[in-house]
Amino acid sequence: MSQTNLGVLLVVICTLLEGVGQVFLKKSVLRTIRQYLWIFSGVVILLLQSVIYTQALRFLDVGAAYTISSLNLISVTLMSRCLLREKITRMRWIGVCLIVIGVGLVAARTHESAAL
Amino acid sequence: MIIRRKFPARLVAVSFLAILIDTALQLVWKSAVLSLPNNGSPWLNVQAILQNPLFLFVIFLMACQFFNWLLVLHNADLSFAQPVTSLSYVSVFFLSVLLLKEAVDLLQMTGILLVLVGVWFISQTDHVTPSQEREV
Repeated sequence: MSQTNLGVLLVVICTLLEGVGQVFLKKSVLRTIRQYLWIFSGVVILLLQSVIYTQALRFLDVGAAYTISSLNLISVTLMSRCLLREKITRMRWIGVCLIVIGVGLVAARTHESAAL
Repeated sequence: MIIRRKFPARLVAVSFLAILIDTALQLVWKSAVLSLPNNGSPWLNVQAILQNPLFLFVIFLMACQFFNWLLVLHNADLSFAQPVTSLSYVSVFFLSVLLLKEAVDLLQMTGILLVLVGVWFISQTDHVTPSQEREV
């Protein structure tokens, strides 16, 4: 596996871990029992995500890493819907998709300019 | 940007702070990673991270971001707060242009505009799901 592919894989793993970690943190503010357990689990997952993201930045430009990690929003929105039963309206989905495309455009262009 | 809905002042304040801290975090984190030795073993990297003041600052910013983020989550849905705080993409972009004198082109400006329009769409939705109450 090339270093770039490894970097991409690591950032994709980070997007999934971000979704799970954020759901755990949100659970901690929704519940009054086992609150610290949810916080602890969320922090452990997000710390793991930070270590993996730091490694990914060694293989990828920040522009490329940023582009892929914008998929965090999709991952978090889907997990909020499925695991937290949050109401995701069409308006919210449109907003999330526009942000992901927008971040993708900015970061991809930055990555392209840096490579020249 | 026109926001029709009225959001609690506390939510606006903690969200703004989250964007501010995230912007600083992204810029400092990348500088810290660039300062790591290239061919070091994982153990040498851990030592370098622990001795590097930039990484200590990254950890400090992460701690601030964490406690502030819990406040954000107290006040809004996760699926509302996460996209709204992605406004930090816009602030990182403009800071790079202003401080680092990076070139800007039409495609990047289009991307920034899409992020802003996306956040506007999200701002038109309820910041909390009505049925979501603290469970015991």
